[in-house]
Amino acid sequence: MIALAGVEACKIMAEFMADLIPGGVLFGVVERDTFVWVKTSESFTLDIFQVGKRLKEDTTTVQAMRNKKVLTQNIPRTVYGMRVVIVSIPIIDEKGDVWGAFTIAFPKLHPVAAAFGDFAPILAEMFPEGAYIYMSDLTKIAYAQASGKFDMPSIAVGYELRETDIAYRTLQTKKPIIEEIDASKYGQPLTIANFPLYDDEHKNLVATLGIVTPKKTAVTLREMSINLESSLEGIAAAIEELSASATEIHTNEGELNTDIKGIINVSEEINEVSAFIKEIADETKMLGLNAAIEAARAGDAGRGFGVVAEEIRKLSAQSKSTVPRIKQLTDTIKQKVEEASRKSNISLDASQGQAAASEEISASIEEITSMSMELSNLAKTL
Amino acid sequence: MRFLQLVVFRLGDEEYALEITFAQEIIRIPERITKMPYLPSYIEGMIDLRGKAIPVIDLKERFGVEQSERGVDSRLLILNIENVGIGIIVDDVSEVIKVEEQSIERLNAELSGLGSSKVQGVVRIDERLILLLNGLNFRAEVLTSR
Repeated sequence: MIALAGVEACKIMAEFMADLIPGGVLFGVVERDTFVWVKTSESFTLDIFQVGKRLKEDTTTVQAMRNKKVLTQNIPRTVYGMRVVIVSIPIIDEKGDVWGAFTIAFPKLHPVAAAFGDFAPILAEMFPEGAYIYMSDLTKIAYAQASGKFDMPSIAVGYELRETDIAYRTLQTKKPIIEEIDASKYGQPLTIANFPLYDDEHKNLVATLGIVTPKKTAVTLREMSINLESSLEGIAAAIEELSASATEIHTNEGELNTDIKGIINVSEEINEVSAFIKEIADETKMLGLNAAIEAARAGDAGRGFGVVAEEIRKLSAQSKSTVPRIKQLTDTIKQKVEEASRKSNISLDASQGQAAASEEISASIEEITSMSMELSNLAKTL
Repeated sequence: MRFLQLVVFRLGDEEYALEITFAQEIIRIPERITKMPYLPSYIEGMIDLRGKAIPVIDLKERFGVEQSERGVDSRLLILNIENVGIGIIVDDVSEVIKVEEQSIERLNAELSGLGSSKVQGVVRIDERLILLLNGLNFRAEVLTSR
């Protein structure tokens, strides 16, 4: 407690200290129930701290005087619109009676809020895509800090929290919330992290601290990796089709080769038949010649027979003349067919190469697919 | 106009002819030819033709024509010259032709003499020259050792 004689000394000290205390301070001298002297710092005032104002019965100062002892009280926001700590020291006259009180009031600030102006501008710039940092009290946004790359003008200081806001929910649940918000709400995908803040004694929830970061890069990456995965699936399917048709070509070419060999065999058989024709023609010719000889030996009697013999010889000559023509044709067939066989072998080789290549591509695509899946998983964790 | 009927056959690249009356028949060269000892090499041996033994003569060797492989067309031409059967191996019996007697070009005596009167004349058909052998001399020629 302070002796009435020491009050003047206290006033002088208060005059000096008022603007030295960070966050501001109020000093006042109350006589009975009315302020008779007040010193306020520039950054902090309360309506009640005015000379001539009378104090109500339930105030800290009146209580201190009544109980004749120093009283420190945390005044909730509801009383003066902000949290305030009030310390009241009774002033005693020479007789030992309570003359009045020396009252000091500090704004009560959470340390995070007190430091907000110091750390938030720096922290906001530390995120690659920028960040928006804010603090809310129990009902509205109290501090906000935008970064050069990212701002949220719709959530400025003074914004009243709504039920859907994450800060509101943090206050309700009293638990930290980290959430991703898609582009439908704020025009771009965001991550919002919000933590509850308690007062010094860790008893009362007094505020929340939130950091909003844009997720454009991560979301773009995720979308790209999903697209990549689906296009790879398409490519894999196409390659599979290609590979299947290569196999079909391979089979067809194999069958073609067999058919071609069949044709060669047939043309060789034709040659055999034609050799048989030649044999018959030779035999017929000999028959014709012998008939002619016989007819000549028979003289005039054999004349008619001679004509027949001549016809036989002509016939045999005709049939024999077909033989080289058949041979020529079968040779041509053979030559063409061999050419076809050669070409079909080339396509066989090519289709084999194609099958091998498409298998290689399939393997590479499988590798890329698994990589893109990893990428997608990675992007989800960003 | 008198016509002659000729049997035309080939020896190597040359074509020869004999009057058809000297020919008996044409057969394939038999597989079995019985070799005869002490005979000139141009006599291949003997064959049995329906119960008659007939000597087989390699006419190309006898004529000194360049030897060539016997092919599928090689035949044995059986001649009957004054009731003596002789088989001659020829490369091919081409045909039986009928020519006018006058169209046969006779060789002059000197040339004919050099060839021991084997070739009687030349028959000309288009571009072909066919040597007409003298059938009567032929028997003596081929069966006479030199």
